[in-house]
Amino acid sequence: MEFVSPEGLRLDGRRPMEMRQIRGEIGAVAKADGSAFFEMGNTKVIAAVYGPREVENRSQQISDQALVRCEYTMANFSTGDRMRKPKGDRRSTEISLVIRQTMEACILTHLMPRSQIDIFVQVLQADGGTRSACINAATLALADAGIPMRDLVTSCSAGYLNSTPLLDLNYVEDSAGGPDVTVGILPKLDKVTLLQMDAKLPMDIFENVMQLAIEGCKAIANYIREVLLENTKQLEYRRGP
Amino acid sequence: MVGLSVGEKHFIQGGIAQDLRTDGRRRLTYRPFNVETGVIPQANGSARVRLGGTDVIASVKAELGKPSPSQPDKGKVNIYVDCSPTAAPMFEGRGGEELSTELSGALQHCLLGGKSGAGAGIDLSSLVVVEGKVCWDLYIDGLVVSSDGNLLDALGAAIKAALTNTGIPKVEVAVGASGDGLPEVDISDDEYLQFDTSGVPVIVTLTKVGRHYIVDATLEEESQMSSAVSVSVSGQGRICGLIKRGGAGLDPSVILDMISVAKHVSEQLMNKLDSEISAAEAFEEES
Repeated sequence: MEFVSPEGLRLDGRRPMEMRQIRGEIGAVAKADGSAFFEMGNTKVIAAVYGPREVENRSQQISDQALVRCEYTMANFSTGDRMRKPKGDRRSTEISLVIRQTMEACILTHLMPRSQIDIFVQVLQADGGTRSACINAATLALADAGIPMRDLVTSCSAGYLNSTPLLDLNYVEDSAGGPDVTVGILPKLDKVTLLQMDAKLPMDIFENVMQLAIEGCKAIANYIREVLLENTKQLEYRRGP
Repeated sequence: MVGLSVGEKHFIQGGIAQDLRTDGRRRLTYRPFNVETGVIPQANGSARVRLGGTDVIASVKAELGKPSPSQPDKGKVNIYVDCSPTAAPMFEGRGGEELSTELSGALQHCLLGGKSGAGAGIDLSSLVVVEGKVCWDLYIDGLVVSSDGNLLDALGAAIKAALTNTGIPKVEVAVGASGDGLPEVDISDDEYLQFDTSGVPVIVTLTKVGRHYIVDATLEEESQMSSAVSVSVSGQGRICGLIKRGGAGLDPSVILDMISVAKHVSEQLMNKLDSEISAAEAFEEES
């Protein structure tokens, strides 16, 4: 199948190095300590953060740092064909784990010993790149909850189809079977916290694809910073002089 | 879940007794609500309803299926509700299943009528393509994103809005393909049939706190309830379903009184909801 037309356009009309439209919004869930809505094209996710609070299960308590937990759930209507999946299938568990590890790397857990932070991500609509969208939403929600972090974590994926590196794959491109590199970075510290790839790629091409994904992460980081600044300005305005 | 001190409990109960609740509402006033349609483009119809701090999404997906042999002239409708852990940490894992099942059951009672399909708010015979062979199966999925009480009313409103937003593709049946096998059907891509949702009921839940009952209880008020009665009322003012929840017993005369109040309240709610839905639809078409 042709994923990049001779004119250099992808199936949804994007250029190979173009990202989908991204939109972030803070405060999607009223009752949560921090929450955010994040959209990458047709992929839509909501993240909610509860905590830091007392550890529910005493046996899980860690005496010198905070316990970070994460659960990833997909709505029944999130995929093209409606399916009724039992909760906690393997794929969700794996993604929960990935998100937890990525977020744990940036939260200053040693500042909140004996406490627990819960991150819940809910996929409303899946169109490729749910992992990245969830991480971006979780970052926004953690920042909204005022949880101390080293840096913002942002994530983006890139792939390689028709001998072209492609940024931010959608569902059709993702399921084409080509390599899919998901990268998560700490943009200010310039460190990679998440790196996943399936399928195989020659070394030199992998470098290009990964570089492309990192560029995507940086663009998202700039956007997220803007959203946070705008939100803080609003809060300051509402507080009054 | 809701931790309230003795003083707070007294404050809530006293406010309800004096017809002035903690957020300034009267006993029979709803919180302001907001409807957004077409939030899930992949579904045939969808809507998001925000009622104060409660936030729910309903989506309708239609699939071609076979009608059940006992009712060859009717389509099938399934309602499922899911409580997202984003709404409350207690819904994590399987924690939300109990509430989800309760809500799904209540919605099925209120919107789908009895087993025979009699009294259904949705006209099931309009879902049939070829009698006894092909019909549309509607899957209505509700998702609770944020919970601040009165989930049932919010879900009912969201489902009504989602059904109004739903377009079912027009189906052409190939002539001549008869016999026992499934007839060949051709699903049109650009012609859609809209539902008549004027008959879909709204649900009004009356929560009894102390000696009085209130509509649209918040989570804090719900924690003080002795019992609650949910009444689903159709546009013609008919009662389509009734559910009582909560432990304490109710006097039969009180129940009758509650039903007549619910009917009165439902008229205002129905008008408000209809205007919100048409505003949301107009907004969606514009953008």
